[in-house]
Amino acid sequence: MARAALVTAMDGSPAGAAVVNLRGLVKRYGAATAVDGVDLAVRRGRMHGLIGPDGAGKSSLMKIVAGVLAHDGGTLEVFGQAVTSERSAERVKQRIGLMPQGLGQNLYAELSVEENIDFFARLRGVDEQALAARKRQLLAMTRLERFRERPMKNLSGGMKQKLGLVCTLIHEPELIILDEPTTGVDPVSRRDFWAILDGLVDERGLTALVSTAYMDEAARFATATMMLGGRVLAEGTPAGLLAALPATVVSVRCGEQVEAQRRLGAHFRDTMLRGAWLRTVVDAAPEEPASERARRAEARVREALAGLAVEALDTAAPDLEDLFIARAAPAGAPAPLPASAPAARRAWPPGYHAIEAHGLVRQFGDFRAVDQVSFTVKPGEIFGLLGANGAGKTTVIKMLNGIQPPTAGSGSVAGADMLRAPGQIKRRIGYMSQAFSLYLDLSVRENLRLFAAIYGVPRARRAARVHELLRLCDIQGIEDMLAGDLPMGRRQRLALACALVHEPEVVFLDEPTSGVDPVGRRRFWDILFHLARAEGVALLITTHYMSEAEQCDHISLMYAGRVVADASPEQLKAELGARRGALWAFDTSAPQAAVEALRDAGFADASLYGTSVHLLDPDGATLAARVAVALAPLGIAAGPPQRRPLSMEDVFVERVLELEREAAR
Amino acid sequence: MKAGRTLVVARKEWLEIRRDRLFMALCLLVPMVLMLLFGYGLSLDVEHIPFAVVDHDDTPASRDYSARFSDSRYFDFRGRLADEGAIDRLIAANALRAVLVIPPGFGRDLGAGRAARVQTVIDGTFPVRAMTMRGYVLAINAQASADLALERARAATGADERSLAALAQPVRLETRNLYNQPLRSVWSMAPKLIMVILMIAPPFLTVLGVVREKEGGSIFNIYASTVSKAEFLVGKLLPYVAISLFNALLLFGLARWLFGAPFKGDPLCFALATAMYVACTTGIGLVISVLVRTQTAAMVVVAIVTVVPAALYSGAIIPIESLSPAAAGVAHLLPAMYYAQVATGSFLKGVGWPVLWPNLLVLAAYAALLMTVGYLLFSKRPRA
Repeated sequence: MARAALVTAMDGSPAGAAVVNLRGLVKRYGAATAVDGVDLAVRRGRMHGLIGPDGAGKSSLMKIVAGVLAHDGGTLEVFGQAVTSERSAERVKQRIGLMPQGLGQNLYAELSVEENIDFFARLRGVDEQALAARKRQLLAMTRLERFRERPMKNLSGGMKQKLGLVCTLIHEPELIILDEPTTGVDPVSRRDFWAILDGLVDERGLTALVSTAYMDEAARFATATMMLGGRVLAEGTPAGLLAALPATVVSVRCGEQVEAQRRLGAHFRDTMLRGAWLRTVVDAAPEEPASERARRAEARVREALAGLAVEALDTAAPDLEDLFIARAAPAGAPAPLPASAPAARRAWPPGYHAIEAHGLVRQFGDFRAVDQVSFTVKPGEIFGLLGANGAGKTTVIKMLNGIQPPTAGSGSVAGADMLRAPGQIKRRIGYMSQAFSLYLDLSVRENLRLFAAIYGVPRARRAARVHELLRLCDIQGIEDMLAGDLPMGRRQRLALACALVHEPEVVFLDEPTSGVDPVGRRRFWDILFHLARAEGVALLITTHYMSEAEQCDHISLMYAGRVVADASPEQLKAELGARRGALWAFDTSAPQAAVEALRDAGFADASLYGTSVHLLDPDGATLAARVAVALAPLGIAAGPPQRRPLSMEDVFVERVLELEREAAR
Repeated sequence: MKAGRTLVVARKEWLEIRRDRLFMALCLLVPMVLMLLFGYGLSLDVEHIPFAVVDHDDTPASRDYSARFSDSRYFDFRGRLADEGAIDRLIAANALRAVLVIPPGFGRDLGAGRAARVQTVIDGTFPVRAMTMRGYVLAINAQASADLALERARAATGADERSLAALAQPVRLETRNLYNQPLRSVWSMAPKLIMVILMIAPPFLTVLGVVREKEGGSIFNIYASTVSKAEFLVGKLLPYVAISLFNALLLFGLARWLFGAPFKGDPLCFALATAMYVACTTGIGLVISVLVRTQTAAMVVVAIVTVVPAALYSGAIIPIESLSPAAAGVAHLLPAMYYAQVATGSFLKGVGWPVLWPNLLVLAAYAALLMTVGYLLFSKRPRA
C-alpha cells in the first residue's frame, strides 16, 4: 500500500492516491491521551478537513503528520515514507508545509511581510530568482502586495492568516497542513481565505489537511473527519455524512417557549433555542421512507406540543453540527434542565432597559476602537455582540462595566449610570470572561464559595445559593473535583455559576464558548435560555461563532468599531433576502472555474463552498437558465440550483462588503 | 551544515532583536546598570564611621586622645554627648556606629603615671564591619599608648627619641599590599563583577530568545523545515553571543575607566577567556531553554542556576579557600571560578598565558560540553 503510494507519487500519480496514511495512531501527554487510535487517509489533490472542538486531538495529529511531534503508537506514512524517527521525518519535510495554530503566532511580529516570506523561503533553500517570482505571484493572489513593507504585527487577523499561507507555500510543498487557519478571523476574511485555498488546491493539485473548530465550515471539505476526544466520530464527504443521519430538523415558534422547550426536551434528544424559535432534531424511525420523514417529524412535534399555540413551524434537513451532536452524544446526553423553583421575576417599570448604550466612543491615540455605538437590551433578552477579533466588542463591555471610561457617550447597566456609578454596576452584574477566571487549584464548591464571599452574598444565604447553582448549571456530583481537572464544557458551566452567585440582573459573557464542543455549547445555551426566560436576566454575549449568533434574540454586528447591523437574526436574514434574494447552491463539473465565470457574468457574490457553488439571487425561476448561459462557453455543466437557508455569516459578509464598497467610493 | 542557512537564521534573529526596542534596551542596559549598582553599592570598605565622644574628663589629655579618632579618615566626628544615656538610642537609629567614652579622671591618671581607662561602644550588627571598626580602635589606641609611653620615658630618662622607640618596639612592622596597594575594594570587585554579570546576562538573553519562539509557536517553522539542528542553533545563538561580547567590552570599559581598576595582564588572553566564558554561559541558557516551555519558567531557572553560583561559588565575595570543602568542590565544578581567576589575574596581578592556560582549557571544555548537551537535547520532532 505504502510502496504503491510512493511509486505513483513519483510518476505523476493519479489524484486520489493516499499521501498520508495513519493506522491506529496514538499520542499521549503524560496520563492524558490526545489521539486515541486514529485511522486516516488523506488523498492526493483533495482538501481534507479535521473538524472538532479544542482538545479533540486535531493539532496533535497534524503536528505528527508534519513530522514535528513524535507519536506513541500506531503507524504513519507520508508520501510512502514510514515516519518513525526524527531522521525519517526529515526526509519528507521539504514536500510539506505546516501552518500551526494561532493568529500569526508562527510569524515574526517585528519583521515586515516581505521579510517574513524571505525568511521562510531561505530557510527552505529556495533560490533567489524563484523566490522573487513566487513572492510576486502569491502576494498578488492574496492581495497583500500593497503591504510588503508593513510589519507583521500591524496586520489584521485575516491578513496575518493569508501571510501565514504564503509563507507555508513559498517552497512549493505538495502537502499543506493548516491548523485552524480561520479561527478568530472575521467571516469576510474567512471566506476570502477559503476562496484562495480552494483556488490553490484546484490549480496546483495541492493536497491540504485543514482543521477547523467551526462546524459550519465542514461542508467546505472534499472529505471531512469529525473528531472528539482523540477519536474519529464520523468521516466522509459532507453529503455522505449527512445522508448517514436520518433525521429532520423541526423549528417551531411558540408563545409559551419555556413550556414548549420542556416538552420537546422530554420527547427528542436535541432541542435548542433560536431567538423566538425552538429547533428540534427529530430522528426518523428505522424503516421510515425518506420521503415521509419531514411530514412524520412535523406530526410528532405537533403531538408533543398539543395544547400549546404553535405560531409557525418549519422543517429542514439536519446540518453537520446536528450530525456531530448525534454522534458525540447518541444517548441524547443533555438531560432536561432540572425544573428550578420559578424565581420571583423582578418587576420592572415599562420601558426599562437592563443595558443602554448611547453613542459610546473610545479613542486610543489615533485609533478609534469604538465609534458611536448605541444599543439597548431588555430584561430577559439574550443580546449578541458579534464581530471579529479587534472589532471593539471587548472595549464596549469594559466601558459598560465601568472598567474603562468612554471618550464620549453615556450608558447605564442594571439601572446604574455607567459614568457616575461604576461601583454599583459592578455589584449588580455578573461577568464571565473568555479565560474563565476560575481558581484551578480549588474545587468546584470552593470556587463557588469563594466567589460568593467576594461578591458579598450574605453568609446565611451562601450554602443555599451554592446548592442552587450546582443544580442550575448541571455541575452536581463533581463538587469536590478541582476546577483544573474539569473538561472544558463543565469548567465553562462552573465559570457561569461563579458569575451568577450574587443573582445579578445583567450578565456579560465574553466569548464564553470558545473551545467548547458543540454538545457542551448546547448545554450551556440551555442554561442561558433558562436564565433569560425563567428568571428575566438580561444577557449580553459576544461570540465569533456565527452559528451561535442565531440563538440570540437580538444582535449587533460590529465592524471596525462601529455597529453595522442591529436587529433580530430573523429580521436581518429577511432583510438580506429582500434586498439580494435567496441563497442558492448547485454542483458543477468544475466549481473553481465556474465561480470565476459566474463572477464575470455579474453574479458578484458567487463563491465556492466545498464542491458546490453558492450565490445570492432574487429570481429562482430563471436562475438555472442564466447560470447555464454564463457557463456554456466554458463547457461547464451545472446541476439544478437548490435553495439554502441564509445564515448569519451571509448577513455579516454582505454587510461588510457593502461597507467596504462604500468606503472605496 | 550550510553557512548560508545559519546566516539566514542569525539575520532573522538580529532583525527581531533590533526592532524590539524593549528587548534591545534590556540587552544593553541591564549589564551596565548591574555593573554600576554593584560597583558603587557592593564596596566593602569601612570608612567615615559616624562617631561621637562622651568626655566626662574634658581635660587637654582627654581631648588630645579623642582627637586621634576624629582626625582619622576612618571616623567621622559627629559631636559630643553629655552622658551615656543617649548612646543606645543613637546607635539603634543608625545615627552613630561607634562611641568613645572617657571617664572622669582620665587626664589625672595619665598625669600621675597610672594606667587610664577608656571605653568604646561599637555597633555589632554586621560582624565584619564591627571587626574592622574594632581593628581601627585598637590601632589608634595602640599608637596613642605608644606615643604616651615614649613621652613618659623621655621625661623620666632624658634619653633620645630614637633609642627609646627601639626600646619600646623592638620589631617594627611594615606592610605592603601587592596588586591593590590602597586596598580599594572596588578594584578587586570590578573584575569579579564582570564575571558575575556575564554569568547572568547571556543565559537570560538566550532563554528569552529561544523560549519566546517555543511559546509563540514559531519554533514549528524550524521543526517543519529542512534546516538542520546545528544550522538553527548556531544561527539562533550567534546574535546573542555577539551582544554579550559587546557587553563584555562595555563592562571592561566601566571597570577600567569608571572604577579605575588597573589592567596589567595580557589583553588577548583575557579577551579569549571572555569569549569562551560567554560561550559557556550562553550554553547554560541553551540547555535551560531546551528543557523548559515558558518564558516565566525559564527566567526562574536561569535566576537559580546562575545567580547563586556566580555570587557564592565563584570566589566573588567569599574566597574559595574560605568555603567548606564541599562548597569548594562545587565551585571547582562550575565555570565561574575559573573565569574569576582569569579576570582577577588579568586586571590586578598582570599574569597571562603561562599562569592562566589551564583556566582557558577548562572554560573551552565547559563551553563545548554545554553546547553538545544542548544540541543533543534539542529535537525537531519532540515528544511534547
